[in-house]
Amino acid sequence: MASSFYNFKKITVVPTVTDFIDIVLSKTQRKTPTVVHPNYKITRIRQFYMRKVKFAQDAFNEKLNLILTEFPKLDEIHPFYADLMNVLYDRDHYKLALAQINTARHLIEQIAKDYVRLLKFADSLYRCKQLKKAALGRMATVMKRQKDSLAYLEQVRQHLARLPSIDPNTRTLLICGTPNVGKSSFMNKVTRTEVEVQPYAFTTKSLFVGHMDYKYLRWQVIDTPGILDHALEQRNTIEMQSITALAHLKACILFFMDLSGQCGYSIKEQSNLFHSIKPLFSNKPCVLVINKIDVMRPEDLNPEDRALIDEIENSGATIVLSSCYTEEGVMDVKSTACEKLLASRVEVKMKSTRVNDVMNKLHLAVPVKRDNKERKPFIPDAVKNRIPYDPNDPNRRKLERDIELENGGPGVYKVDLKKNYILKNDEWKYDIIPEIMDGKNVADFVDPEIEEKLDELEREEERLIAEGYYESEEEMYDSEEEAIKEAANEINEKKSIIIQKHRTNKSKNRLVVPRTATFARPAEKNIEEKFKELGVDDAPLTNRKRARSTTREGDEAMRSASAMRGVSMVRDPSMAGLKNKKQKMEAISLMKKTTKDIGLKSRRGEADRSIAVKMPKHLFTGKRGVGKTDRR
Amino acid sequence: MPQNEYIEEAIKKHGRQFNYEERMRKREAREAHKKSAYAQKVHGFKAKLYNKKRHAEKIQMKKTLKMHDERSNKHKTDDNVQEGAVPTYLLDRENQTRAKVLSNMIKQKRKEKAGKWNVPLPKVRGISEDEMFKVIKTGKSKSKAWKRMVTKATFVGESFTRKPPKMERFIRPMALRYKKAHVTHPELRATFYLPIIGVKKNPQSAMYTQLGVMTKGTIIEVNVSELGLVTSNGKVVWGKYAQVTNNPELDGCVNAVLLV
Repeated sequence: MASSFYNFKKITVVPTVTDFIDIVLSKTQRKTPTVVHPNYKITRIRQFYMRKVKFAQDAFNEKLNLILTEFPKLDEIHPFYADLMNVLYDRDHYKLALAQINTARHLIEQIAKDYVRLLKFADSLYRCKQLKKAALGRMATVMKRQKDSLAYLEQVRQHLARLPSIDPNTRTLLICGTPNVGKSSFMNKVTRTEVEVQPYAFTTKSLFVGHMDYKYLRWQVIDTPGILDHALEQRNTIEMQSITALAHLKACILFFMDLSGQCGYSIKEQSNLFHSIKPLFSNKPCVLVINKIDVMRPEDLNPEDRALIDEIENSGATIVLSSCYTEEGVMDVKSTACEKLLASRVEVKMKSTRVNDVMNKLHLAVPVKRDNKERKPFIPDAVKNRIPYDPNDPNRRKLERDIELENGGPGVYKVDLKKNYILKNDEWKYDIIPEIMDGKNVADFVDPEIEEKLDELEREEERLIAEGYYESEEEMYDSEEEAIKEAANEINEKKSIIIQKHRTNKSKNRLVVPRTATFARPAEKNIEEKFKELGVDDAPLTNRKRARSTTREGDEAMRSASAMRGVSMVRDPSMAGLKNKKQKMEAISLMKKTTKDIGLKSRRGEADRSIAVKMPKHLFTGKRGVGKTDRR
Repeated sequence: MPQNEYIEEAIKKHGRQFNYEERMRKREAREAHKKSAYAQKVHGFKAKLYNKKRHAEKIQMKKTLKMHDERSNKHKTDDNVQEGAVPTYLLDRENQTRAKVLSNMIKQKRKEKAGKWNVPLPKVRGISEDEMFKVIKTGKSKSKAWKRMVTKATFVGESFTRKPPKMERFIRPMALRYKKAHVTHPELRATFYLPIIGVKKNPQSAMYTQLGVMTKGTIIEVNVSELGLVTSNGKVVWGKYAQVTNNPELDGCVNAVLLV
């Protein structure tokens, strides 16, 4: 919902002072270490107590900050809410309370700072402990002075949470008038809200909000407490709530009037009120609702009172009559008010600059007239000549419903849906086709070309038989299978021999010589023969062997003819990482290109000596101890 | 959507739950048992807090009970004649006993003898130099030990200028320097936060006085112009002596009583 921005229900509870202090101190106790002994190193003891002081300050700070951030700031919220809060809780009081909380936070911060400083000079556990005690005590004292502000803020919080969530920007109807004229009854009639209705003045003591639908839109209806006709300064809190709503909400104002005088105010008084609060809604749509017409209608008025009503009407208000008791005209009031507000909202939007953005996107094309020929929309004759259906006409078309009624009505007669099927042959209309057959959906197997496919297959089969395809295949199959079986047997035999050989070798009680160390490798020696024996094609292997033994072209070129075969080749370091001379030349030219600029403009290059950071921070910061600079 | 005083409204409209009163009564009756069960269960820090609170509550309760008892009790007025009571016709006679006069005179004399050095805290705990000063080792190899740091609260006058740090024998840390003190006026029974003018006397030693060390029992001079005191011949008093009543190094503040 859009109004969630003005939802003050989520503010956390503000504890009382004693609770506040208890919370923070016990948190400090729980969350900091508790064991310390006087024979510990003094730095450790100091650190132990400093942590406690700092932690307590942190806890206070956190809680106070939460209050400061969660409570709405009067300058930042909608003026309607700001004013309402001013009326209900007194702006100065509210601001002062928050300011005091802020001050307390600062003071506590200061105290913690001071005592941590003092703790640095403490020389015994006892002194540390005393200082910690003093620090926490002073923080608690500062908080104790906030007793009243905290209590006040808690009250404000509770009241804020119960405030109706009014969205100040949406479509709103605002009901106002003198007490007892039927404002709340109207509210109850129009929305689902239950506002208390009693026959005495000021039954409604605060604003109430309800919601209703009109034209598929969400509308907000606000019921306000009654207003009396006197000066602004004399108004009490209850009335001031109505005034703020009237002043700040862009709504349609429904001014309720009771002509009968049952409310205890004469028509004169009521019209005076209207004129005195008129400036509050000078440019808002306004409807004058004359309520309780079941008791008295405006026609029955004497001319003096009639003149008063006319005067109000002349000032721009639309008059609508209603009675919440008989519910006469209630919907009329609603629709009139909504229409008026909608119209005014549209008007405002049209005036604003934002509308141009939308208008620019719209384009209504109006083609230029070519000739005087009229081009009307085409309607087929069948449609044109069709007689419109009329239930009273005796010669009317017969509907399925009519047939149904003729045959005994619904439940007895079953409407015939099959008769309108469009099929190739009309006789098929009533054929029974099961939807599911043998657990399969019939529709899945329906293929219009199935006959052709079957024919095709049969023809192919015939052709194959004629060619003698199947006979030869059978023979080959037999011989192939046998060959595979034979091979497999051979392989298995060989495998088992190998395994057995290996096992006998292994089980001998002698030193195992690794394969790499053996002098002659008979397996490798006649590998080609062996492959031949196995009947495996050894072409890839021999190729690989040959490839390894041939020399590279480059090597050949570089080796001078006079060099002895036994001398190993000296590697040129300038060729490191490069394939051949060509690549080397490329690399050199690339280097020259990149260094050219540096050389010409005498820029700093990679090779120059550089100091990245003149004074590295870690070497030049920190306080000097007692014993530095000239040895104290 | 609940709004405004919806709870009260609902009660007004529909009334309370049918057994509301009963439940309330029972809850109240059970309260004592619940509290005691909690008191027995709770332990540790929470127990300490809770028992303290409970203790105070119980005392208060007993007191009020006693007060109520007294109101309804009928008790005899005691007719015993008190010691030294005099009949009405002798009431306006002066009957000072001789012994009393004598003792008064002695008291007066003693008081005069004690003179103006009669202070609220006549005795103080002795403080050794070890406690007062921390030795600071200096020199390249930290072999020299002639420097001292004062570990108590001090007052350093505004005009004080440090010696060259190398030569400085006594260091008075900034954190332990105080400029103001909470001074209580014993007759007015009010406390003021007054600026310190100087340290008049530290009972421990003259050196501490010179250094401006403030320990418990030290006489300090404070600026009382804020109080608007006037001497017998009409001059405004601005400096007055006060005695320090707390251990400033333990409390982080200086408390003093004005000497009048």
